[in-house]
Amino acid sequence: MNALTVSTAISVGRVHLITNRQRSLTVARWRALWLALLFVAISVVALVRIAFLGVSDRATTVASLEEALLPPRGEITDRNGVPLARAFPAYALWYNPDALGEDGEPLVKDPKQVAAELTAIFPDLDADDVAEQLASGKPGYIRRRVLPEDANRVQAIGELALEMPQETDRYYPQGHMAAHVLGYVDAMGNGQVGMEQVLDKRLTDPARRGEPAALSIDVRVQGALEDELRRGMLAVNALGAAGIVLDVDTGEVLALASLPEFNPNKIDVEGESYMFNRVTNQVYELGSTFKPLTVAAAIDAGVVRDFGYHYDAGPVPIAGYTIRDSHPLGATLNVPEALIHSSNTVTARIADELGAERLRQTMIDLGMNERPYIELPARGMPIWPDGEWSRIRTMTVGFGHGIAVTPLHLASAYAAMVNGGIWRPATMHKLAPSEAPRGRRVFKASTSARMRQLLRMIAAYGTGRNANAAGYRVGGKTGSAEKPGAGGYQRSALISTFAAAFPMDRPRYVVVAMLDEPKGTTASSFQRTAAWNAAPIVGNLIPRIGPLLGVRPDDARDVDISDLRPLIGGVDK
Amino acid sequence: MTVGSRMRQIGWAVVLSICLAGFVVLTFRVNAVKSEVRLAERQIIALERENLLLETEFETRANQQQLANWNRVEFGYQAPRADQFLDNERELAALGLPRAIGGPEPIRVARAPTAEPASFPQMVSPVTGQPAGADDDRPEGEAVASTRSLADRLSGRVAFETAFAEFSE
Repeated sequence: MNALTVSTAISVGRVHLITNRQRSLTVARWRALWLALLFVAISVVALVRIAFLGVSDRATTVASLEEALLPPRGEITDRNGVPLARAFPAYALWYNPDALGEDGEPLVKDPKQVAAELTAIFPDLDADDVAEQLASGKPGYIRRRVLPEDANRVQAIGELALEMPQETDRYYPQGHMAAHVLGYVDAMGNGQVGMEQVLDKRLTDPARRGEPAALSIDVRVQGALEDELRRGMLAVNALGAAGIVLDVDTGEVLALASLPEFNPNKIDVEGESYMFNRVTNQVYELGSTFKPLTVAAAIDAGVVRDFGYHYDAGPVPIAGYTIRDSHPLGATLNVPEALIHSSNTVTARIADELGAERLRQTMIDLGMNERPYIELPARGMPIWPDGEWSRIRTMTVGFGHGIAVTPLHLASAYAAMVNGGIWRPATMHKLAPSEAPRGRRVFKASTSARMRQLLRMIAAYGTGRNANAAGYRVGGKTGSAEKPGAGGYQRSALISTFAAAFPMDRPRYVVVAMLDEPKGTTASSFQRTAAWNAAPIVGNLIPRIGPLLGVRPDDARDVDISDLRPLIGGVDK
Repeated sequence: MTVGSRMRQIGWAVVLSICLAGFVVLTFRVNAVKSEVRLAERQIIALERENLLLETEFETRANQQQLANWNRVEFGYQAPRADQFLDNERELAALGLPRAIGGPEPIRVARAPTAEPASFPQMVSPVTGQPAGADDDRPEGEAVASTRSLADRLSGRVAFETAFAEFSE
C-alpha cells in the first residue's frame, strides 16, 4: 500500500518534475530572450545617445561661442591694428506702450515721475519732452544708445513699457577723425562714403568679418595731419582744407584729411554737407605746384640741360593774353631761380620749348587725365584739356592753370618725381612689403635726383622756407592759384597748396597741404599766398610725424646741392 | 542548479542595474560638464563684451584729437629735435668726457645739513588706499637718492652721473 502509494507518488512526481523542468526551461529561454532584447535595446539607446552627444553637441555649443564672438560687421583698423570702426553691442531705449496689454495705462507710475527718473540717469534728456512722449502713448525711441550700466538703472525703474532692445551699432572711437576715409554705416546697415562702402561685402561676409580689415592709415599721423590742418585753416579763416601723406615707394596713404569734417557717429544735415572729399573728389587748379613737374618733364626730355642758362623773365605775350609774374623778378632767371621765385614766365617758356605733345604725354603718364587711383568711391574727374593743346594751353598747364586735378593726383605725381621716377597708384589698403605695385616709369632716375635737389632748394632758399623743418631735409613747392569764378579768375579767392617730400636725401613720404580761400590774417602776416599759410602747416606737421614714421631728424645729413647752390647767388641766407 | 540559476539571475540583475546606474550617472555627469562649459562660454562672451566696451571707452577717451588738445593745454610736449638723437657710441661717449686739463672747476654749492622738508603730503595709491611705497620693495639706495636735498644734488656729481645713465639707457 505504502509501496504503491510511494510508487505512484514517485511516478506522479517524475511527471511533474519533467513538466516543471520543461516549463522552467521555456521560462528561462524567454527570460534570456527578453534579457538579450533588453541589452540590445539598451545598447541601441546608448549608441543613439552617444551618436546624439557626438553629433548634436559639437554642432550647437562650439558654434554658438564662435558666433557670439563674431562681430556682426567686421572691424576696420589702422596699419598698426588700432581700431577705427567697430561693431558695438549697444542697447537702445524703446518705449512700447503695449507692453502691459492693449487696454489700460501703458505705465505703472505717473509719466512725469518716470520722465524725472529717466533724466536722472540721462541728464541730457529733456524731462518735459520725455513726459510728453510717455503720455502720448505712441511707441518710439527715447534714446538710440544706452550703456549697459545705464541699461541696468533703467531696468530698476521697473516699467515694462521701457524696453531695451539690443542693437548692433557701428562706433568710431576716434570720432570725426578720418571720417572721409572711413565713411559711415547707414540705418539699413550699408556702408556709405568711404572704406565702409568699399569693404561692405568683406565686412559682412561671415567667413571673413572675424578678421579686422587693416587700412594703410596710421592713426597718429592722421591725427597730427588733421590737427595741424585745422589749426592752419582756422588761423587764416579758410573755407576748407585738405591734406594727404603718401608713402612714395608703395603708394600707401598714411593720412588723408578733408576739413571741415563730419562725425560718422552722428550723421546730421550739417555733416552730410561736409561729406564730399576735397582730397579725392574735388578738382582744383593747383597752380605753381605744377612747375616742378613741367621742369622735370623738360629735364627728362633733354630740353633743360644747362641749369645756369638764363631764360628771359619778361612778360610772355601770347594769343592776345600776357603771362606775367606776380612780382618782377629781374630780366633773366635760370631754372633754379625760376623755381625758387616761382616764375610763371620762365616756366611758360620752358613748357613752350618742351612742346605740347611731350608735356601732355608726361601729364598722361602721371595719371592727370583720369580719375585718381584710390579705392575710395568718391573720385573726381580732372578737368583735362581735350584734343591738341594750343601753345597758350601748353604754357598755362606748365604753371598749373587750365588743368584741374585733385590733391591726390598731385601727391602721386610728386611721389613719382622724387622716388626715382616710378608712378604708382595710391591705395588705402595696408600692403605687405612684397605687395607694392610695380608702377610705371615716368621720369628717369637722374631726373628724379635733379628734382630732389631743386625741391630742396625751394624749401631752403625760396618760397617754401616756412616748411623747412630743421633736420628733416624737406623739399617742396608752393602753389597759390586764383579760383575760377564768374567772368574769369577771382583775384581775392585763392587755392594755396604746398606739396612737399621728405627727407630729400632719400625721400620716404610726400605731404600735400591745401587751403581753400585763405584770408590774410595776423597769423599769416596778412598774406594769402601758400608760403604764408600752407607751407607752415607742412613745416609744423613734418617734425610731428617724422619720428613716428621712422625718419630721424639729422642736421648732418642732406641732399647734395653744392653744384646748383652757386647758381642762385642773389638769394639771402 | 536552481540555486545557481537564481544566483546567476541576481548576478545579471545586479550587473544590469550597475550598468544602468553607471550609464545614468555618466549621462548626468556629461550633462553637468556640458552645462558648465556653456556657463563658461557665456562668461567668456560676457567678459569679451565688457572687454570690448572698456577698450572702446579707452580708445574714445584717448582719441587723437583729445590727446592733441591735452598736450596743447597741459603738457606742451614737442617733437624731438635733431640734437636729441645720438648716432653712435662715440657721440654717447663724448657726453661723458672727463674735465679737460685747465677746464673750470664744477660749481659746488655750500650746504648745511637740514631736516627733510615735510611739505609734501604722502601720496596715496588710488587702488589700495595705502600710502604709496608702503608695499614697495625698492632697494634702499633709490629711496635715498630721491630724498636727497637740492643742495646735495647740485653740489655732487650724482646728478650728472644719473643723467648720463639715463641717456645711455
